[in-house]
Amino acid sequence: MGAVTYPDERVAKFLSLNFVPVQLQSSHTAMMQKFAVSWTPTLIVLDADGREHYRAVGFFTPEDMIATFMAAKGRWALDTDQLAEARALFEEVISCYPDKDAAAEALFFLGVAKYKLSHDPKPLRETYDQLKARFPQSMWTKQADHYRLIDK
Amino acid sequence: MTIEICWLDDLAKAQETARKVNKPILLDFYNPQ
Repeated sequence: MGAVTYPDERVAKFLSLNFVPVQLQSSHTAMMQKFAVSWTPTLIVLDADGREHYRAVGFFTPEDMIATFMAAKGRWALDTDQLAEARALFEEVISCYPDKDAAAEALFFLGVAKYKLSHDPKPLRETYDQLKARFPQSMWTKQADHYRLIDK
Repeated sequence: MTIEICWLDDLAKAQETARKVNKPILLDFYNPQ
């Protein structure tokens, strides 16, 4: 990550604009234990109160890093009830990174954000239909399966 | 001009900043070797 992904200008700009970045070495055993981290790299998205909203283990290419953590920021926004921002972030992932794994996750949570904004269940059914058409093998499609019971 | 990520190494300070700017924290545990 330090050799390829973080020096990438697109990644540096994205992370600097969208996150407060913190790096801790694996030798920091107290913090490793506090966050139950057993392998590196482990990347965790936290809010200002230290609550965890997203976690990933392993390496990311620059494009995957941006797509994955744009969706992760959307999860943070969704969890902290910033629904319009969450929707915008998920839409941006789907639009800018349509072939990345993160697009399926963004599609799933876009349906959730739309439902929470409108209290109309139809976006959840649309989520299932779009996931099934575009990402038939994704775990997010399986996890949206019960939305097929909602009327169109 | 090259943009570099300005990493903090103090989580408490990062939480204070995150509250002020309404942004999430990206906490990266890494092995420097």
